[in-house]
Amino acid sequence: MFAIIKLIQSLFGALHSEGTPGQLAAGIVLGSFLGLTPLLNIHNAVIFAALVLLNVSFAGGMLGWALFVPIGFLLDPLFDWIGHRLLLADALRGLWTGLYNTPIIPLTNFNNTVVLGSVVFAIVLAVPLFFATRLGVVRYRATIGERVRRSRFYKGVMASKAYNVYKMFRP
Amino acid sequence: MTAPDSRLQTPRLKVFRWRAVGPLLALLVIVAILWLVFADSIARHESQRVGTQMLGAKVEINDMHLDLPHGKVSIHGLTVASPHEAFRNLLQADELVADVDVVPLTEKKIIINRIAANGLRFGTPRHTDGRVAAGSGDGIAGRVLAETHQWASQFQVPVLQLATGKISIDSLDPRRLATIPAAQALSARADSSRRAWQAAFDTLRLGPSLDSAQATLEKLRTARATDLAALNEARQAIDRLKRARDRVTTLDRNVTQGVAKLKAGVAGLDSTRQRDYAFARSLLKLPSFEPPEIGKALFAPGTIKPFERVLYYVQLARRYMPPGLLPRATTGPKRLRRAGEDVRFPKEHDLPGFLVRSAELSFLLHPTAPQPQRYAGSLSGLTSDPALYGRPTVATASGPELGAGLMLNHLRDIPVDTAGATVGGIRLPAFEVPGVPVRLDPGVATTQLGFTLNGDTVQARFAIRSSNVRWSRDSALTNTTIGDLIWRTVSGIANLDVEARISGELQHPTFAVRSNLDQAISTRLRAVLGEQVAGAEKQMRARVDSLVNDKVGPVRARVNDIQAQAQAQVAQQRGRLDDLQKQLEQRIRDLTGIRLP
Repeated sequence: MFAIIKLIQSLFGALHSEGTPGQLAAGIVLGSFLGLTPLLNIHNAVIFAALVLLNVSFAGGMLGWALFVPIGFLLDPLFDWIGHRLLLADALRGLWTGLYNTPIIPLTNFNNTVVLGSVVFAIVLAVPLFFATRLGVVRYRATIGERVRRSRFYKGVMASKAYNVYKMFRP
Repeated sequence: MTAPDSRLQTPRLKVFRWRAVGPLLALLVIVAILWLVFADSIARHESQRVGTQMLGAKVEINDMHLDLPHGKVSIHGLTVASPHEAFRNLLQADELVADVDVVPLTEKKIIINRIAANGLRFGTPRHTDGRVAAGSGDGIAGRVLAETHQWASQFQVPVLQLATGKISIDSLDPRRLATIPAAQALSARADSSRRAWQAAFDTLRLGPSLDSAQATLEKLRTARATDLAALNEARQAIDRLKRARDRVTTLDRNVTQGVAKLKAGVAGLDSTRQRDYAFARSLLKLPSFEPPEIGKALFAPGTIKPFERVLYYVQLARRYMPPGLLPRATTGPKRLRRAGEDVRFPKEHDLPGFLVRSAELSFLLHPTAPQPQRYAGSLSGLTSDPALYGRPTVATASGPELGAGLMLNHLRDIPVDTAGATVGGIRLPAFEVPGVPVRLDPGVATTQLGFTLNGDTVQARFAIRSSNVRWSRDSALTNTTIGDLIWRTVSGIANLDVEARISGELQHPTFAVRSNLDQAISTRLRAVLGEQVAGAEKQMRARVDSLVNDKVGPVRARVNDIQAQAQAQVAQQRGRLDDLQKQLEQRIRDLTGIRLP
């Protein structure tokens, strides 16, 4: 329940934050990496650090993570297939062999079919996701955003103490 | 100059969120502390998990300590369960200390320069079932275990049916006898031949020719020598009779050939019956009297196990240590998300993914003995990428009454794996000899094992020798003839010498077992069971005859009948033709004095 409330808080907090639509979209894109790819991998530590350090919407990142986790589970067979095709492609064998025998790189588990497939998918998805999200936020704020902000529901949700946690990282 | 209004300025977009650096660093510190606290535990769990997955049996570690700055990993209390036996360990080790290269760890490569293993013990008992692959059948170990079990099961020979001393006879199903359908088919063929011959005989139309010739003959009897028309008519009648006889001759030839085929069919029924006798004999559960078969029946189940186990480890080695440098895919790590596959990319002149350069082993072979003896061994070149390391894996062990060696040569496309061991002074457990009402306690014995798998060609030998065997009798079979016979045969034998050999293509090898008991048991069995076997065979033949004779007898009579009928019909018509022709020729000769050609 707390997670759902927090997700809703994150959603509205992000949509009504002072951050620009671009910051919110960038946060969601970074969060999508966390959700789409298997979490316990070194590349996700880099993504998380970027989410914290870069001036993007952290709430958007959490929102993107939460939204894309189930999608990641659903698309695992597709990621496996993509990774398999890429890792066993004759044309790319030299690249993979070089990377596999380079320090640190193998710790990313890029040689796992699901990891590679999901990362490639997330990278390909990043640009359209960024622009689509940014457009969606702009349209939301221009149309129903103000009405939502004045609604009792919004005020009730944002009055929760959990909102304070979000405020620490708002852009 | 006035300052620009700050409200009209476009706010400068900050790229970094500097105030988050502190919390992030704090998080890193927390992660580092957690690593320091839990690294040993994580490494222990991961080692247990990977070891269990690779070997197909539980790997348990009491304590593990990583000292990465000094490149040392120490393990205390290692237990590896047996993949084949439920309540037995493959080995236990008091202590393992490994010198690890730290730098290759950044490439996820484990390079162990030296391992010192102390207090190794083999075959110790355990309280819980440690088998994993046998239960799940998953992973490489599960598949290899299933394959080797399947391979070993092809050698299961039927045990000697000696428990009761009776020769059992299975029921004889008439539908499985070949003679009966063959007789039915021959009967149908005979009927078909008879109808065909009758039709052919009808198409000869001998009646008009005979009637015409008879009429000509009557006319000729009253004719004079100058009646040329009558003489010409007579000659024409003779020609018609000759042509009719030619047709009869052709038919006769067909009948003769057809009858010969039917006779051959009747003879074929006899040979089919012989095959039915052989089939019926196969239903007799006769004990084999040949010494090699006796050796196989007595000791195959016991001697095949060492081969199966060695093959299991060799096949595991081939899966985990394949030759060549092609990318290799294995199942990825277990997690909530799909595991996928991990693909390894060995690179020429680079380090392999896993390598133990050398290991020194110190172990006890008889830990429970009053004075356990210490043995020593060594291992070198154990690697996941033999082509990169460039040398085969070699292991040796030696000590009092022990000599063992192993070489896994996976450097070339066709791997060659060799293992050999001679272990003396081992007390083997007593066991029931299959099919024989006696129990054998080999006592302290010497065992030898030699195993070579060159590509897919296997050459293996396993031998047990003991000079102080003890026999005990199965009380349930005390009063049976065979029980007495076997007991009298083996109870006086103090030596045991068993040798099993496997050779040939791995999938279909030849398996032979011989022992010093084979000849003795064979001779006694021949003497006692020979008459019983002959009686049982006679009984089986009588059963076949009783089922077959009802079908074969009528068919034989029918063929004879058809033959006689067809041949008589042909002979009769040919006789009439010949008789009329002779009469006509005689009359012409009487009238003209000329002998027709």
